[in-house]
Amino acid sequence: MTVEATPRLLVSNVSKTFGANRVLSGLNMVIQPGEIHGLVGENGSGKSTLVKILTGYHEADGGAAIDVDGRAVSVPVQWDEIHRAGVSVVHQDFGLIDHLSVAENISVGGFERSRLVRKISWRRQNEIAEESLARINSTVAPTALVGSLAVSQRAAVAMARAIRDLPHGSGLIILDESTRSLNREELIEFYEALGREVAQGLSVLLVSHSLVEVVLVTNRVTVLRDGVVTGESLRTDDLSEQEIARLMLGRNVSHIERSSSHAASEPAIEVRRLSGDAVNSLDFNIGKGEVVGITGLSGIGFESIPYLLSGARPASSGVITIDGQEIELVGSSVRACTRAGIALVPERRDRDGLAFEATIRDNIALPTVGRRGRGWFLGHKWQDQMARESTERFGIRPRDSSLLVRQLSGGNQQKVLLAKWLTVGPRFIILHEPTQAVDVGARQDILGQIQLVARAGVSVLFVSVETLDLTEVCDRILVYAPDGTLTESTSREPDDILDLVYGHSRV
Amino acid sequence: MDNDHRQQFEDVTVKPGDVIDSGDTALDLGEVSHRAAAPPASSVLGQRTRWFLSRYALLLVWGAMALFFYSVRPGTFGRLSAFQAIFGSQSTLVFLGVAALITLSVGEFDLSIASIMGLSATTVPVLVSLHHWNVVWACAFALLLCVVSGAINAFFVIKVGVASMVVTLGTGTLLVGVAEWISASSQVAMNIPSFSKVANQPFLDLPITFYYGLALVILLAYIRSWTPLGRHMLFVGANREVARLAGVRVNRIRAGSYLYASLVAGMGGILLVASTGGFNASGSGGYLLPALAAVFLGTAAVQPGQFNPIGTLIGIFFLETGIFGLELMGYSGWVQDVFYGAGLVVAVAIATIVRVRTSRG
Repeated sequence: MTVEATPRLLVSNVSKTFGANRVLSGLNMVIQPGEIHGLVGENGSGKSTLVKILTGYHEADGGAAIDVDGRAVSVPVQWDEIHRAGVSVVHQDFGLIDHLSVAENISVGGFERSRLVRKISWRRQNEIAEESLARINSTVAPTALVGSLAVSQRAAVAMARAIRDLPHGSGLIILDESTRSLNREELIEFYEALGREVAQGLSVLLVSHSLVEVVLVTNRVTVLRDGVVTGESLRTDDLSEQEIARLMLGRNVSHIERSSSHAASEPAIEVRRLSGDAVNSLDFNIGKGEVVGITGLSGIGFESIPYLLSGARPASSGVITIDGQEIELVGSSVRACTRAGIALVPERRDRDGLAFEATIRDNIALPTVGRRGRGWFLGHKWQDQMARESTERFGIRPRDSSLLVRQLSGGNQQKVLLAKWLTVGPRFIILHEPTQAVDVGARQDILGQIQLVARAGVSVLFVSVETLDLTEVCDRILVYAPDGTLTESTSREPDDILDLVYGHSRV
Repeated sequence: MDNDHRQQFEDVTVKPGDVIDSGDTALDLGEVSHRAAAPPASSVLGQRTRWFLSRYALLLVWGAMALFFYSVRPGTFGRLSAFQAIFGSQSTLVFLGVAALITLSVGEFDLSIASIMGLSATTVPVLVSLHHWNVVWACAFALLLCVVSGAINAFFVIKVGVASMVVTLGTGTLLVGVAEWISASSQVAMNIPSFSKVANQPFLDLPITFYYGLALVILLAYIRSWTPLGRHMLFVGANREVARLAGVRVNRIRAGSYLYASLVAGMGGILLVASTGGFNASGSGGYLLPALAAVFLGTAAVQPGQFNPIGTLIGIFFLETGIFGLELMGYSGWVQDVFYGAGLVVAVAIATIVRVRTSRG
């Protein structure tokens, strides 16, 4: 390729110091036209800082240089300038506004107005939206409401917005953890849709926690550990996830040993005729101390199972038996379910899981105060102690439990969420995507804790699309088919589970 | 980053708005123990100062303001009567502040509390003077009316799902109208010495209503941090869905906040009419803003960024001191509105800044 001569993005000697702390030191990075370049590292390794320097949010320390297409841009970066030079960003979770249309979302920041009265021409906006969407093979209607779209369509809208001002075959899109809500299948679709533009020369900088995603889609990858590059523009073809993880962590990633099978044990949890939302009359059992996984193609309805089982969403039928105690799910409240020993760890920790503006201690104590407090008096000592024990047990950092949850990283928030529900002492714990958007270290801690809990005799239901997680911790995995039936597997090979998941979709 | 860097991480000072992805969260299961080293002593002092300032800056400003007025008008501001004027005359605001606090802290907005207060302050003299009711029954009936008004608010906001601002703005206006109707738009006077004693009886040089207000604030502060109900209220305010999924009866707490806010506002009205002997309903509206201003100002004190009772109390006396001092200096009438209005904006600004700052801690 002749274009190799002028890289799309050339970053040299970027450092960033906060007070006495150097969070990035002497980073160099080269991204070629038409390259998908991964940037990985744990929380705090400096990858978000780099993105913030590239978007002009942070100022880099002196001596840094940034070139786009061979031309230097001013440092510190002015967003207007670097954006005109061809850099776009797709933010975490897309940054879309639900109650506006696709075209409105795509045109934010670049409205075309009529010359005379400076009125926005909506016909023109719709055309622009359609063109942008067509470039990434998306057929979403420009007039559709973003709130009504599926996750993969939302991803397309966000990409269309990023690509809007970029001429064909040029530009760089920074995906800042933006694809974390996509599952593996949607990811592949997403990058296939991008394929044509990338082949023509669009470059992508993919910032991600997910090593699976990085190995799957990138050409090269830059690995950061503690602000230092530990892998510089490595070819992804030559790397495995384990090798990247080793560069990120500076240690080997050990696999969690599974305890022996519980298949023979008595069922502690029996679910009968569970219906509601898209779920229709499901039956399954979970043994005492058993971890059972439920997975399937995302969007086909098994995602409501955790919420139906815990009273968070109304079930149209269903009975759950816990150690012989029957709970009628129809008309049952969350309160009744939690009282019966069911704990739900919901998927959206920001919306459903934790109060971000409250402290770690208060969040952890919340489900317990109702039963431990004596109406008119609530001790503070046990709350402090409970929070302290949880931060130690889960390795929550920082250890100060008077911090607000908002101040923690995603992995630590997820640990707080898990701790909150484990301190209740549940008999049955339901987890929905418990490792979503956490780094590898936190993921291991979380999966390890889940196994410990199961070993202590709690029944665990693990609902997730992450087959790697499922095969690592589950004793049995139930694959939910689009027709609403469950297929059981005890395989520990992620590929076997994926075969079942996708096998159903071909039927 | 080596371990030295890490140890210093918590003491890093960052410009406002900087977000660093906290390096302390970099997970390494084996070597965490290295990081717990104590920060240098000087910065501990800095942190303590910052901690203190973020909670008690308002008290310091209050003190400075009092000192200023004292230095300008030592003859009048230094007297007991000044102290009595500041602390003894504001129990209506304390009650209204608590009413506003009850709703705001669970994420609801009640703009009708001042009108509800006005309704009870009008109903009592109307029933006693025009309809010759027994004063006890009149008070009970007035409180009942207030609770019913709260129930109407709760019904529309929680059952029907109308925005709380809309509902309470509507009922607030409506109730002022009702109060003006029953009192024929004029001030109905009543003169029952035993009744006015309930409010004006002095104790340690202050009218007893001051102690009612103090007791109410302490009660609410206790409920907030020492009872399950208070913890649940905190989470209903912080994130309703999280509270619901934790088994908290969210709607019951929301509805209860309207009922209790109305009850407290109604009691405030009764004490007001007991101490003054009459009330003109058209004046109710003037009580709303000071109460809200004090509650918001209170978020800059004691528990920064959170609605809290002690902070509200400090906010009320802060505003009163300012107004009283300015009046002593010869500014009158209009200065109240200017000070309340400016106080509200400045209060919310301070609270916001405090929040941003503490989040960096």
